[in-house]
Amino acid sequence: MNPRNNAVLREKLAAEYVLGTLRGAARRRFETWLRDDAALRAIVANWQGRLGTISELGRPVSPPARVWTGIERRLQLAPSAPWWQFWRLDAARPWAWLSFAAGGVALALGVMLAGREGTALPQQVAALADAQSRTALVVTADARRGRLDVRVARDVQVPDDRTLQLWAIDTKGKPRSLGILANNRSAELTLDQRAIGPDVMLLAISLEPKGGSPDPNGPTGPVLYKGSWARL
Amino acid sequence: MSRDLEDSGQLQGLLGAVALGDSAAFRKLYDATSAKLFGFALRILRKNELAEEALQDAFVSIWHAASSYQLHLSAPLTWMAAIVRNKALDIHRRQPKGEVELALQDYDPVESLQDTAAGPQALAELSRDALALAGCMERLAGRQRQAIGMAYLHDMSHTEVAAQLSLPLGTVKTWIRRGLDRLRDCLSNREAA
Repeated sequence: MNPRNNAVLREKLAAEYVLGTLRGAARRRFETWLRDDAALRAIVANWQGRLGTISELGRPVSPPARVWTGIERRLQLAPSAPWWQFWRLDAARPWAWLSFAAGGVALALGVMLAGREGTALPQQVAALADAQSRTALVVTADARRGRLDVRVARDVQVPDDRTLQLWAIDTKGKPRSLGILANNRSAELTLDQRAIGPDVMLLAISLEPKGGSPDPNGPTGPVLYKGSWARL
Repeated sequence: MSRDLEDSGQLQGLLGAVALGDSAAFRKLYDATSAKLFGFALRILRKNELAEEALQDAFVSIWHAASSYQLHLSAPLTWMAAIVRNKALDIHRRQPKGEVELALQDYDPVESLQDTAAGPQALAELSRDALALAGCMERLAGRQRQAIGMAYLHDMSHTEVAAQLSLPLGTVKTWIRRGLDRLRDCLSNREAA
């Protein structure tokens, strides 16, 4: 039934599916094709991108404060402390300072270890931080043992059906998977020499479905933490 | 353009933190996007209290669905706007029909940019994608744009669009299809350029 060989028809149906004019039985039939047709899903995603941009063709209007209060109430989020109560902000985030300190300690430890060996072993350390510059993970490369050690410093709650995945991103922006953190707390990964190569610009952790990114060429989920190697 | 990428990267980081249950990041995400998304909900629903309800429903969903956001499929703002549209259209469908009378030009997705005093400034703040879409939309006939707006923003069927535009059903179907084709070709030409 699925008109796999009729590119023009597939394009037309995908566009009308996204626009909303594909209705009733035709819409339901299209949705069953979508389930096992990745190419068709990609056509739909392209249309969602094109028409979705319509949302930006308008004037921004600030919503009244009660909208946020309502969201907070429905999700039972703790109301955030006013900015001037800085001690309460700290109390609410006991790990924020600790993890920052932990990043520093790890770096210092790495320097000490490298110093003691007194050899030319390429010891490298990276502290990965979130969008708000809080260190959440520390990665150390041990070339002698051929291991990459990843430790979660901050208290990170990963949803049950997701996993953290570590990537090396080179100077061209191309990501390469270094492995997944199976228990989302720590991991000892095999050190891929390419992971610490001079072309590696950035290390990053993304949130992926269990088992890792379905796309071998890069993350499919949001990038949570980033940081670069400190070569010791 | 670099500002777009930067904004998009920042929203992505916030979405990631939200997926891990970070409520401070959620507030930042709300602050960064709520005015754009509320403006969008208002264009669909036209009434403040309904648009407020849609925005609230959408952010509750965004909190729960953040971990399933897939960056290779859509930009963060596009993904969030799609959720707002779904919630707004759910509310729209529950409203009695014909409650709000709109003039034809009110259905035009581009017109809403121009009918404000802040027109030129609003244009200057658009992302590159939005500018490209606005440019390509303007190449379509006015009624073609209205028909697309009626379907996408107001959930109208071909039949309803035809009645609103006082045009035969067949004509409307062809128009919408040709309009979408031209839109796609125009956008991909711009991308290639």
